[in-house]
Amino acid sequence: MNEPIQWISWIKHGVVFGYLIAMYMFLISMAVGAHLVTLFAKVYYRDEDFLPLEKVGTFLPMLILLLMPLLLAVDMTHPERAYTMYYHWNWTATVAWGAYIMPLCVITYAFHSFYLFRPEMMVAVREGRPGAELYRMLLRGKIEEGTAAEIRQRRQKAERLWANISIVFSFLALIYVGMRLSAFKGRVMVSSLSMVFVFMSLAASSGTGFMILLGRLKTATVPPTQPALIKQNRFLVDFGVILKYALLAQLVIWVLYLIQLNFTGTGGKLAAYIFLGGPRSFYFWAFQVVIGMLLPLALVMVPAWRQNVGASVAASVATMLGAFFAVANLSVGSQLIPLTHLEWEQLAPEPLKMAFGIIVMVVLLLLFLASYKILPYETPVSQKSEA
Amino acid sequence: MKNRGKDMGRREFLKKMGATATALGTGAVLIQAGDLVQAATPPKKYGMVIDVNRCIGCHGCTIACKSENNVPEGVFRSWVKQIIKGKYPHVKNHLLPRLCNNCEDAPCLNDCPTGATYRTPEDGVVHVNRDICVGCHTCVLACPYNSRFINPLTGTADKCDFCYHRITKGLLPACVDACTGKARIFGDMNDPKSEISLYLSKYPVQGLRTYLDTKPKVHYVYADEAILNLDYSYLSRR
Repeated sequence: MNEPIQWISWIKHGVVFGYLIAMYMFLISMAVGAHLVTLFAKVYYRDEDFLPLEKVGTFLPMLILLLMPLLLAVDMTHPERAYTMYYHWNWTATVAWGAYIMPLCVITYAFHSFYLFRPEMMVAVREGRPGAELYRMLLRGKIEEGTAAEIRQRRQKAERLWANISIVFSFLALIYVGMRLSAFKGRVMVSSLSMVFVFMSLAASSGTGFMILLGRLKTATVPPTQPALIKQNRFLVDFGVILKYALLAQLVIWVLYLIQLNFTGTGGKLAAYIFLGGPRSFYFWAFQVVIGMLLPLALVMVPAWRQNVGASVAASVATMLGAFFAVANLSVGSQLIPLTHLEWEQLAPEPLKMAFGIIVMVVLLLLFLASYKILPYETPVSQKSEA
Repeated sequence: MKNRGKDMGRREFLKKMGATATALGTGAVLIQAGDLVQAATPPKKYGMVIDVNRCIGCHGCTIACKSENNVPEGVFRSWVKQIIKGKYPHVKNHLLPRLCNNCEDAPCLNDCPTGATYRTPEDGVVHVNRDICVGCHTCVLACPYNSRFINPLTGTADKCDFCYHRITKGLLPACVDACTGKARIFGDMNDPKSEISLYLSKYPVQGLRTYLDTKPKVHYVYADEAILNLDYSYLSRR
């Protein structure tokens, strides 16, 4: 059993899902997480001044989800045939489910965003504010009377309906990304339903981080009136509390996951070793644990730091970075375990794919900033309900 | 009159509902019955036994496969693993020819989003339809035996299909034909008189990662455990 073994001939298979797919799964979980956290916070606050943040947490995730298929397309060798998934559907494949879940998720977010922006757009058209022509086109010329609050009240049922449907699809999207990895039967690191919970915890933390960052960016780009600003800042500080618990939950889930791996035979032990001392250990300890969990946890733990703009933004960026490396460690790390020999598999450099991923991120950021300037995130004081 | 009309509508609705339920139920029963009939008349089950004792490590199968199926450089449908175990003078050479197991419960088939990976029901061989494969790499990752790859020439998933173009014409797969030591035995495992069935009944057979329950159809005889099932603790020890 313990005889020395020398490998003479074997073939290497490499890593097929690289950083681009990791970015795809990370961005989906972050976008969906941001939307869920926003909607649950909205239910908790039930405050009119939370609306601009609800718009941030609905419209921007929709933009992310809209651009995500580009990352998949670049990773495929025949993206021009991607439509075959819709009519030549294999119901046992997770990707095939995702082909339906993700577009439907985008549609529900789009409808929800439309009902959120609709009243302010109508008011802007009536008052001839900048962007009125664009809004008129989006509203197909149907302009209602009354204040923004009254218009919103009239269509509240539709808005809530799409919000509720979007919650369902958001959870389905998280299950999809989790199962996308867990479906790989022979990959011990990811082949369990714990992936769904891992992605849920990552979604909660990175989504909250996203809301803090983009919420701060919104208040800096299009500052609301003073009373609304004070309230929005309070909401953003409260998001820091949510981030604290989300990070703690993530920490607990990762500890449980690593314990589970350690009790899953020699393959599971090796998978745990990849994180703790193997080829992904630097990314795990430096980016995922220290930068991605401990640093933001320290920053949001102290109430005074939560209120500090710089500290809260640093915590949110660190959380998102940590979540990205968590997904990358799972996706890439699971493929490093060799299946036919005893040498670690290697991830070949993908400079073009990485450059494309970075371009997509920059485009997304520009779209976010442009949307702040174009769309009516804030409700003018005169248009709010009297209550 | 109005009420009567409503009553009739309800009755009609119930009738239609009943008829639909009956039709669906009958359909489901017929489908199940069809499956049972299919299961009762076993189709061919092509498989392979590799007697590792007869393998001399000439890599003839690798070359024959590459030549027969136009497999590009750097990727393999069939290859041979080799290890040397022990310390001089007690050294043993172990070989393990590898190819797609054409599993009965193939994870690659279950994970293919377009159904480009399919199984021919009459013989159980797993194929890739190059016309609808999108090259998403999912099957490459789903295969627990690393038997799949993306063909750089076609950009689609590729793997061994027991040389389907040959076996359907009554020929043997190229690797079987080329095997110097006659280590590879190919045939219909459902035919009790076939060479492979006789071999399977005569020798204790081994398989790759059998605990995954994928039911591989490539079996091994006399393979060393060290090369068949990897000892992962070796990697974390180093």
